[in-house]
Amino acid sequence: MRLTTGTRIAALAAATALLASACSGGGDDAGSDDGGSAAGPVELTFWTWTPNMEKVVDLWNSEHPDITVTVNKQDGGDPAITKLLTAIKAGSGAPDIMQAEYQKIPQLVSSDALADLAGSLGDDVAGQFTDGVWDAVTLGSDAVYAVPQDSGPMQFYYRADIFEKLGIDVPTTWDEYADAARKVHEADPKAYLGTFSANDAGWFSGITQQAGASWYGIDGDAWSVDIDSEATTKVAEYWGGLVEEGVIDNKPMYTPEWNAGLNDGTQVGWLSAIWAPGVLAGNAADTAGKWEMAPMPQWDADAPATGAWGGSATAVTSQSEHPEQAAEFITWLNTDPEAVQALVDETGIYPADVPASTEALTDPPEFFSNQPDFYEVAAQTAQTVQPFTYGPNINVAYSAYNDEFAKATKAKTADAFVDAVDAMQQITLDDLKNQGFNVSE
Amino acid sequence: MTTLTSPLPADVPAARVDARRPAGRARRHWRGAGERPSPVATAVLLLGALYCLLPVVWVVVASTKSGAELFASFTFAPSTHLADNVADLSAYRDGLFWRWMVNTALYAGVGAILSTLVSAMAGYGLAKYTFAGKNAVFNVLLAGVLVPAVVLAIPQYLLLAELDLTNTYWSVLLPSIISPYGIYLARIYAAAAVPDEVVEAARTDGASETRTFFQVAVPMLVPGLVTVFLFQFVAIWNNFMLPYIMLGDDKLFPITVGLSGLLNQGASQPAMYTLVITGALLSILPLVALFFVLQRFWQVDLAAGAVKS
Amino acid sequence: MTTTTAAPPGGRAARAAAPSARATGPSTSGRRRLAPWGFLAPAIVLFVLFLALPIGYALYLSFRTEKVSGLGLGSGSRTEVWAGLSNYAAALGDPEFLASVGRVALYGVIVVPTMLGLALLFALLLDSRRARARTFSRTSIFLPYAVPAVISSLLWGFLYLPGVSPFYDLFERFGWDVPSLFDGDLVMFAVANIAVWGGTGFNMIVIYTALKSVPSELYEAAELDGASQVAVALRIKIPIVTPSIIMTAVFSMIATLQVFAEPTTLRPLSNAISTTWTPLMKVYRDAFTRGDLYSAAATSVIIALATFVLSFGFLRLVQSRAFASEK
Repeated sequence: MRLTTGTRIAALAAATALLASACSGGGDDAGSDDGGSAAGPVELTFWTWTPNMEKVVDLWNSEHPDITVTVNKQDGGDPAITKLLTAIKAGSGAPDIMQAEYQKIPQLVSSDALADLAGSLGDDVAGQFTDGVWDAVTLGSDAVYAVPQDSGPMQFYYRADIFEKLGIDVPTTWDEYADAARKVHEADPKAYLGTFSANDAGWFSGITQQAGASWYGIDGDAWSVDIDSEATTKVAEYWGGLVEEGVIDNKPMYTPEWNAGLNDGTQVGWLSAIWAPGVLAGNAADTAGKWEMAPMPQWDADAPATGAWGGSATAVTSQSEHPEQAAEFITWLNTDPEAVQALVDETGIYPADVPASTEALTDPPEFFSNQPDFYEVAAQTAQTVQPFTYGPNINVAYSAYNDEFAKATKAKTADAFVDAVDAMQQITLDDLKNQGFNVSE
Repeated sequence: MTTLTSPLPADVPAARVDARRPAGRARRHWRGAGERPSPVATAVLLLGALYCLLPVVWVVVASTKSGAELFASFTFAPSTHLADNVADLSAYRDGLFWRWMVNTALYAGVGAILSTLVSAMAGYGLAKYTFAGKNAVFNVLLAGVLVPAVVLAIPQYLLLAELDLTNTYWSVLLPSIISPYGIYLARIYAAAAVPDEVVEAARTDGASETRTFFQVAVPMLVPGLVTVFLFQFVAIWNNFMLPYIMLGDDKLFPITVGLSGLLNQGASQPAMYTLVITGALLSILPLVALFFVLQRFWQVDLAAGAVKS
Repeated sequence: MTTTTAAPPGGRAARAAAPSARATGPSTSGRRRLAPWGFLAPAIVLFVLFLALPIGYALYLSFRTEKVSGLGLGSGSRTEVWAGLSNYAAALGDPEFLASVGRVALYGVIVVPTMLGLALLFALLLDSRRARARTFSRTSIFLPYAVPAVISSLLWGFLYLPGVSPFYDLFERFGWDVPSLFDGDLVMFAVANIAVWGGTGFNMIVIYTALKSVPSELYEAAELDGASQVAVALRIKIPIVTPSIIMTAVFSMIATLQVFAEPTTLRPLSNAISTTWTPLMKVYRDAFTRGDLYSAAATSVIIALATFVLSFGFLRLVQSRAFASEK
């Protein structure tokens, strides 16, 4: 029996109906327009890339049946922001709650993606955080665009065993760091004390922050761009010199090759941030107990300073229909002692909340169990994070970093590194003006 | 069924096209000087095969290694952790990986079936009818090939957001149905495999146009349509940009977007590399199986009939 | 095959638009006139919805831009305004964009001939029946087609990185100092290789399909006369499959101009791939990293037009040759 056309169409219709039911089964949980009525609990969606965040959220859900939070795992900071901004443009599709790195907040605010939480947060929230971190979520205004989640003060991580073998002291200044880099490379031509990565703009802004740079500023109602400041230029010239000399690697971080280098001892040190132990433990589990952490090498040993790399806040999007409930959740997530403890235990972040994190962070991370004072040193360095302002087109500055330093690492000269900084300044400034921002020069 | 057996004029190099002919069957076996095995020819082919298999072999080997071994021993020597890796991958966020596989099968399977149907109808309409504006329609449809997916992603997103369809299965499925390549191929197959006389005969018998298509043309087109189906299946299976933009909920992800996310997380959680590699292996297995099963249908004739004058 | 019995009720219902289905005369020819449009309707509707409308919208956006006022903080500080041709002027005057065009041209010059040359060679060898292990080879060479570009780039990425690649391990054992493909200009070959790897099999099948439809009488005689396989291939087979080769060239060219997934996936592994390494990467960066849909749209329009101009000649060729057979 041959199927008639009618039967075929009927079959097709049935298939379509089946598909429709399949779709409605899984497709609607990002919309924030359901729930909230007296009929059921408020349902909130939460975009985050923090590993195991769903376990912390489960705690909330078990205690708050009236406000259910669903985690949608994101690839990472950049892709998540991309999607959020697309959804904001489209007018729908954004989650209620969004993890956002500090440097992205001005851009998000400028795109009208975040809700102002000033009226929804308790008065005591601000007091939980350091001024620098709190400024990053208020942009120095009366509005509050997010609640800080974690911070990333930078430190120097190094292979204590190799340092000892080569008779190298832990560098306390950048001059000593350069000497150490030469010794490491001399002892083993395949080994490097570190790498200058043209792919990690956040890392570079962190080390310039330590030197006293602040890439943007606000003068009254105008932005200023100050990427080519003396501080940034000094840092670029220093690293360009080391790359030119060949004593520092210039391959990107976070590649399988770099991972292998951490494993086999050819990457002897890493200028990184407080979350480094998690990366090292995952990357080079066999090297546990061989690493130690110290404050960053200094430009001025008498005035210890550091920068920040990474760290993020939790925001409520402008599309959320339940900003009150969302604000309640993010306050709990980032300031409730139980939640902060869970963040530390499950996700391995360094919470921004000062009192709660002091409670939660007592023992060193397992990977650094050889360094009992790990969190004491960390807390000291956290005190020395220099002020830094991010601007609304930091994305442009970052992609300019990628492109210009890609050229510079190809040229491998200190001059090329300085040129790259100048080019970044020009590209960022032009873009800001081009978009119509008030810019002071 | 097609009766294209008249001898060809020797000076017309003619591509004799029969879209329904399973590969490797039709040509008369002929033994002669050309049959002598040539070691050079074999060696060249095997070299090509080796080149193409190498990364695949590597992924098979790598997926047997534990996370620590992956970065410590980069050789082609296999290890014994495949089962552990598959178990780890299955355990990742309550079996999310398998959900991605099912999603991919759904997107690619349903999308390719609908796409084949739409392409077959359009290709048949273009090949078997003469009407004003035919070439214009075909050219416009084909011009869709020129516009890259990256360009379309945001406008498509904004459009589907208007319909409140973003972050649903529909947002990936619906745009995948239209395929300029599919229509192009279907037109070629319809022109080559469905003789005008047969269509005429059906009409003379009083069959409606719809009936003629479904009951006369489609059976003759089946092998060609299987190719279009496979073509679209692979295209949707490999599509990254569209689902990447459309979907926020990782329960709806297809495998490409899911694995790429795992890879990005691999930057900070290197244990993910093992999962990504194992996932990459598992994700290509179904397609490889599909290729083997439907191998004889793989005959993509981009220029069939080109010289049939 | 077809029957003349009355259409079953279901079939009739499905054709509700043409109630007197079996009528003769004018209504039949009317039906015949409408029929092709009926067959084309789903494709046209979907095309309009998911290709034409988005393209039109992108075109519209390419003439617009967004202006920010003041510090740009707070809602309502952004307004969309007409930009005239300034987005186009900016794209065409952007040295990064021009450099990416040059890069893609070089990339195409490497990829298309290499890929099609290999595809033709393998197809001829498969067709010659003188090689052994043909089924194995054919399947193996076709296999990469099943591997999504994102995944194949990941696999090759591991094989390229000197620190983790088994090849570099071997090179080192032999004492060879092979430079990293991720350093400097060599990265072009790293990307090109992935495209060749992924595309050769598919194009081989296309050409092989065409070869198999060549009637063997055409060259049996030549072979009996003692012509070598190479001579048969060059004088008889290749000319016959030229239309197929042209089509694969067109589609490969289009794919080349749209190269995106491979360099994007490799980018985190190499300092040598910029965010504007290919034109589409620039589109992606503008649209997604910078949130500037307007510049992205203008650049896309330029790319689409360039693609059109480049393949127009070929499309004309297809039009005049491929479908000459339909009355």
